[in-house]
Amino acid sequence: MTLKSSPLSFTVNGKPVGPIDVPDDMMLLDVLHEYLGLTGSRMACGQGICHACAVILDGPGGPREIRSCITGAHFFANKSIRTVEGHAERDAQGNVVRLSPVQQAFIEHFSFQCGYCTPGFVTAATVLVERLKTAPVARRDLEAAIDKAMGQHICRCTGYVRYFEAVRDLVLATPGLVKG
Amino acid sequence: MNKALSRRGFVRAGVASGVAYKIGFIGSGAEAAIVDDPRAQLASWIAPDGKARFRTDAVAKVTGAKTFARDYRARDMPGWPAGQSHAFLIHATRADAVFTGIDLSLLGELKPDRLVLGDELLRDGLRPPTGGVVGAPGFYGEVFLVPPGETPRLLGQPLALLVYRDFARCDAARRRLRFAPEAVRWGAASGYNTPANYGAARFVRIAGPTPQAPDIYAPLSGTTIYADFKGDTVAWPSADQAGDASQRGMWAAGEIDRMIASAGSDSLVVKRSYFSQSADASAMEADNGNAWLDPASGALRMMMATQSPYEIAVAAASMIAASGPAVKSAVKSIDLSIGYTVGYGTKDHSIFPYLAIVAALYGEGRPVRLANDRYGQFQMALKRHSCATDVTLVVDRATQRFRLMKGTYRMDGGGRRNLSPEVSMVGASAAQGIYYLPNSDFTAEARASRAVDAGSTRGYGTLQTMAPTEMLVDEVAELLSVDPIELRRRNLMLTGMRNSQGAVPAGAIRTDELLQRAGAHPLWRERASRKRAYETAYPGRRYGVGFAIVQKDYGSGGEASTATLELLASGGLALRQGGSEIGTGLTTSHAVMVRDILGRAPDRMSFGVTEWPEMPLTSTEEPFTASQEQEDTWARDPRWTPMRQTAMSASNSVYFVGHATRTAARTLLSLSLWPAALSIWSAGPDGGSLRSLSVDIGEARFTTDGKLSAGGLEPLSLERLAAAARARGLVTAVSVHAFNRWEWAVAEFDVPGAGRLSLPADALSVRYGDGGYTFIERQKVVYPPLARLNAAVTYYSGKAALAEIAVDTATGKVEVLSHHSILECGHQVVPQLVSGQIQGGVAMGIGHALLESLPLYEGGPGDGTWNWNRYRLPHAADVAVWKQSAEVLPPLSDSDAPKGMAEVVMIPIVPAIANAIAHAIGKRFYATPITAEQILEALG
Repeated sequence: MTLKSSPLSFTVNGKPVGPIDVPDDMMLLDVLHEYLGLTGSRMACGQGICHACAVILDGPGGPREIRSCITGAHFFANKSIRTVEGHAERDAQGNVVRLSPVQQAFIEHFSFQCGYCTPGFVTAATVLVERLKTAPVARRDLEAAIDKAMGQHICRCTGYVRYFEAVRDLVLATPGLVKG
Repeated sequence: MNKALSRRGFVRAGVASGVAYKIGFIGSGAEAAIVDDPRAQLASWIAPDGKARFRTDAVAKVTGAKTFARDYRARDMPGWPAGQSHAFLIHATRADAVFTGIDLSLLGELKPDRLVLGDELLRDGLRPPTGGVVGAPGFYGEVFLVPPGETPRLLGQPLALLVYRDFARCDAARRRLRFAPEAVRWGAASGYNTPANYGAARFVRIAGPTPQAPDIYAPLSGTTIYADFKGDTVAWPSADQAGDASQRGMWAAGEIDRMIASAGSDSLVVKRSYFSQSADASAMEADNGNAWLDPASGALRMMMATQSPYEIAVAAASMIAASGPAVKSAVKSIDLSIGYTVGYGTKDHSIFPYLAIVAALYGEGRPVRLANDRYGQFQMALKRHSCATDVTLVVDRATQRFRLMKGTYRMDGGGRRNLSPEVSMVGASAAQGIYYLPNSDFTAEARASRAVDAGSTRGYGTLQTMAPTEMLVDEVAELLSVDPIELRRRNLMLTGMRNSQGAVPAGAIRTDELLQRAGAHPLWRERASRKRAYETAYPGRRYGVGFAIVQKDYGSGGEASTATLELLASGGLALRQGGSEIGTGLTTSHAVMVRDILGRAPDRMSFGVTEWPEMPLTSTEEPFTASQEQEDTWARDPRWTPMRQTAMSASNSVYFVGHATRTAARTLLSLSLWPAALSIWSAGPDGGSLRSLSVDIGEARFTTDGKLSAGGLEPLSLERLAAAARARGLVTAVSVHAFNRWEWAVAEFDVPGAGRLSLPADALSVRYGDGGYTFIERQKVVYPPLARLNAAVTYYSGKAALAEIAVDTATGKVEVLSHHSILECGHQVVPQLVSGQIQGGVAMGIGHALLESLPLYEGGPGDGTWNWNRYRLPHAADVAVWKQSAEVLPPLSDSDAPKGMAEVVMIPIVPAIANAIAHAIGKRFYATPITAEQILEALG
């Protein structure tokens, strides 16, 4: 064995994971895919450009989006993340019982076609909605807030409109997220 | 194409070597042995009124379930071992020197567990498949890996396969070799090893005195003229008015040249050259495959990302059959699974799945996963052809009617043939756009080079040819001082007129409605006043509105699919379909189409089905290349069909693949539900409630709760009808196979108990009661003649685009302020899917117009340094995400067929933006993408 590795423990979708032996230079996305079988976060550019790999890092500063393809797995030691697999409510068998509001908005708006980029958009939109709960935005600034949250995400099929409109409609329909 | 290497030959070879193949779609109901079908989790996807609330696959996709081929590892595949190997490729970054070997000293102790070079593959007799379902000889080139001692044909060509027994070392090694040209040893400069150019074709037409009169010459009544190259020059046939069809065509081409040369002062003759860049489709799921040669059983099991699974399975069998004894004796069967995928055409006929198979053959008994990273994807994914265009338009100054158009479209296919001749031909046949041309001469040239190979990509060559036409027409309007929309209206191809191949398009042409709506749109009507107001408000910025319109073919001239629809004892429906999902929403739209006809969406659905025990057909798979005499002979066999299953491409899912679903549904209505209903309505004393009425099947209607009624008769649930059909031994399931060659094959069937039936299908099976299927041998069949291929296209959908842009004169940057689309696509099965296609197509078009570009050769994608940091894809801010709009023409009636529209939607925005820039700054550009640098230079 030529790769230096270390034990890694962290929390994924509310469940403790580890310690597992992970190479020191491995990115989180590869750990999710190859060690944990969680393939919902997608590899597309591997360079942090497209955000298809984005997951939520829950920390003291609140939830934030983080690109798992360019962030080392050991950065997440003892931290807590949410992947797209962790958003919906599931029964004991793992079947989806209820989608998150963001997921529900996306499916009702036909926001995606191939769906490869969808996990990244679920992540970004969820972070936005959760942050708006503690820091609502003025109505006139809502579209700009959505632009900022999701503007760097790449979708190659649907041209963004149905993602952005879904989030706008969800935010407007959720009490307390918008001021004025 | 080489007719000697027919599919029939493949099958024989496959049988001789004992290789059988089987394909299954992962997670697809009846064949979902692999995973539970996540799409079944929410049955509420369809509302009681039959409208889709969300896509059938929506929940799986939005929760991150395994749906893509890329999501699967060996441990996810039933019957596969838990552990697996991983592999990657080293690619050529030069094409001008002899490849002498690999130097892996950089890797230190990260050397692969298995290193495979091209000479080993050749020793084992492993070469890319060719002929038959694949296409022409040399379709994928001659080798998988360039053998040491040879010069690569193309940049990015694979040189070595590195296999690792674990992911971590594979991943670390791949990263270490990234941007490391020293890992490849090169010998002496050798010059380029470019193959011969791939071919040329020409569509020449001289109309009769009126659009309705017989053509003096046209491809449909004469021929498409084909030619090979001598060096870089096309060797066209000689011209002879009394010669064969090709020679007469060349005579007609000469006549058109004479018309151009003799055009007088009453004519405006405009000659322009354009260039459309090489582009990467950038499907977010990069090419990948996971395959395992099970040493115990000899089964080669695969999970592949592909738009053409049928091709992969059949051609893989042929590839194994043609290999050396070691491989041939090891592989006994092929079992292909597919997941959802996306490729915008580039996963149709790609070499990648075959490379993944090769990797498995060197996996030492373990599954091997070969999955491109984005750098590798740029190095070897099929590209959109670059195209150099020379075009001449002759316009009658008095009438402002187009007299003739001549265009030459030179497409760079790169270093492998792939579908380059076909793509360039389709492009040339579409170049006329929406216009009626009494005289036209369109030439397609598919040229070879050392570039990464190009292939089927959304638009299939037509973006490259129709965008110049629309930029040219806009400029001609300026030269003639006429409104660009008005000039277009004067030159429309109207319903019943012939296209540049001499064929009459299907159905009503409604482009004039698109033009009228565009002309009435505020963006167009007020463009002058808006320009003044904007430029006053924003000094330093220049405002422009541009318009363009196209009509685009859908389908390929060889379309086929099978659908089986079963009336379950419960009253539910079960659908099996040969088509598969590539992101467009096929699974949803097919379910809705069944609901539209039978009042109920299928309760069970399987897509990507290739095992058809109920439809035992044989196929020669030569729908484009057989002779008429051959087809006439083969067609005598009632179990023969020209083509079993089309690939998912050419915007073919809703109309062509959907035709099988719709025909199955209508046939189930007429053979099962309707007679079952009559038996109930007529039962009982005094002839039942039917006796006093007169109804026929044309009056059949489904109530909102899914019950069948007609003419005031008692609504009957499908449960009751299913029970009656079973009790009376009526038909309870139908399976149809349909084939289209710019018209549908039609056949007559004597259905026991139902009589003579004529269907737009070439094969029919039915099931009575709870018995097995009965294949109904057709009594008569009419296949569209092969000469119909010369039509090149008869199915069109139309789209217009208005683009509102601003140019920053300081930076040259173009901002898309808003855009408006107007689409005609017949009946919208799921309007939200249509809308999503429009929005996504426009985004991709904006990328082509302004952002996306690849150098073809050195410094281009083959060099292994390309990713989305430098290949700029459109973001939301680039596409006017909050300020765009679209409208779709209402159908002419509720019986309009749905039209394919996934490609046409991306095209007109490209010339519309170019025309808007011309409006903004008074300068025209003839090459895409139109960059800030070009604009700054033009502004001086």
